[in-house]
Amino acid sequence: MRRSRIVISLVAVIIAIVLQTTIFGSGRIEPLGVAPALVSLVIIAVAPYVESEITILLGFTAGILMDLIGSGTLGLWAMTMTIIAFIATRVSFRYKDSVWLSLAAVFVLTALGQAIYVLLGTLFGQETASEPNVASKIFLPALWNVILAYPVLWLMRVAFRTRDRSWAA
Amino acid sequence: MFPQSGRRVNRVTILFLALITIGFIIATFDVRSEGNGVSDVLREGTQSVFTPFQKAVDWVATPVIGLVDGVANLAGLRDENERLVDRVRELEAQVRATDALEEQVAQLELINGLEVAGELSTVTARMYSGGVSPFDNVRFIDKGANDGIVVGQAVVDEDGLVGRVDLVSANDARIRLITDPVVSVGVRVQSTNETGIVTGRGDGPLRLEMFRANEPVQEGDLVVTDGSRFPPGLVVGLVAETADAEVGFVLRSTVDPAANLSEVDYVRVIVGFSAIDPSLEDASTGVTTTTSTTTTVPGDG
Repeated sequence: MRRSRIVISLVAVIIAIVLQTTIFGSGRIEPLGVAPALVSLVIIAVAPYVESEITILLGFTAGILMDLIGSGTLGLWAMTMTIIAFIATRVSFRYKDSVWLSLAAVFVLTALGQAIYVLLGTLFGQETASEPNVASKIFLPALWNVILAYPVLWLMRVAFRTRDRSWAA
Repeated sequence: MFPQSGRRVNRVTILFLALITIGFIIATFDVRSEGNGVSDVLREGTQSVFTPFQKAVDWVATPVIGLVDGVANLAGLRDENERLVDRVRELEAQVRATDALEEQVAQLELINGLEVAGELSTVTARMYSGGVSPFDNVRFIDKGANDGIVVGQAVVDEDGLVGRVDLVSANDARIRLITDPVVSVGVRVQSTNETGIVTGRGDGPLRLEMFRANEPVQEGDLVVTDGSRFPPGLVVGLVAETADAEVGFVLRSTVDPAANLSEVDYVRVIVGFSAIDPSLEDASTGVTTTTSTTTTVPGDG
């Protein structure tokens, strides 16, 4: 069961990265000029269904892949997503069965992730904090993630429950 | 899912701290190596793994998004069409006038024995993916070293300068947009003929700095490349704020990029220009340019 859950989580992260860089990342679907942060959303959605260690490793892996595909300093998204994954493992038992708490967690953790990246980017000389519209780059992805949360959380729930049933059978 | 025991909490926390430490070490190493060497190889490798998936999604999504956009903008399309027809007529008249002027210039150049301006080879490419976050100012194009593209080359669209090539693999390349804080472009303000540097700020207008300016810049002044890194005369944008020149002080203003960077789809990479700064050229220089996709744009170089 554990292996299948890891595979589902990894596939979800890879799909999120591909969608993020194609549909959302090249100026196609960017409401108000900023795209959702799909990878953060997937990490938050996966956290209630896999072990804490796996969630944290998944966060780190997703972050490293984001770093390698992006243009910033390597390691910044890795640290950011690891922190988000760590917090998600701490609070996932609270939002697992509540729609409203899930949406609140998605908003807060996404915004927190963007803010942490801005802070780390500034510490490592990327001038992210002095970019114009930095506030919208922190809060708009969080808002769009809340809108996308329902289908993504539902998909994750279905995927993991399907695995549970097939394992039980 | 919530950790059940102190030992388990300890294990999770230790893993978390270890990964944060690893991330910190990687970031420090990357900053120290200035993004070269191993990190470039890793980036190229990762991108080459993701490229087929990105192209597949792009292939599926482009018509769908186009259709949705078309339906959403249906009401305005007729007005837009009429406006464009009028604009085409105006431009056709201007083209005829320009043709006559070009002929006169060519004759004068011939009479005076002047060297005729050269033409630059370009490779047309399509953007198929972008950055992974709003802090990334990069786009990926479907042409690479096999098409004669090398690091440092200028990338333009029909409106002006889009960015420069900063990572190349055999069939793909990464473009760093001019809005990226890492990108600096030597420019000339056409109205004053004075030079300066334009630097990205991550988003929005570019920062313009002119160190030896004697004349002020006015809002709306055209800013073009000065020919140091990129071919001269490429449109960069328009001055967004009027600024005065004071002796001993740097003239600072902002420039609105001419290219609409959020809607760029097809671009041209200028492959027929050698940058003055040789460090901008990488080892892959000299790859034969394919002729099938090569077109030309006018330029002074």
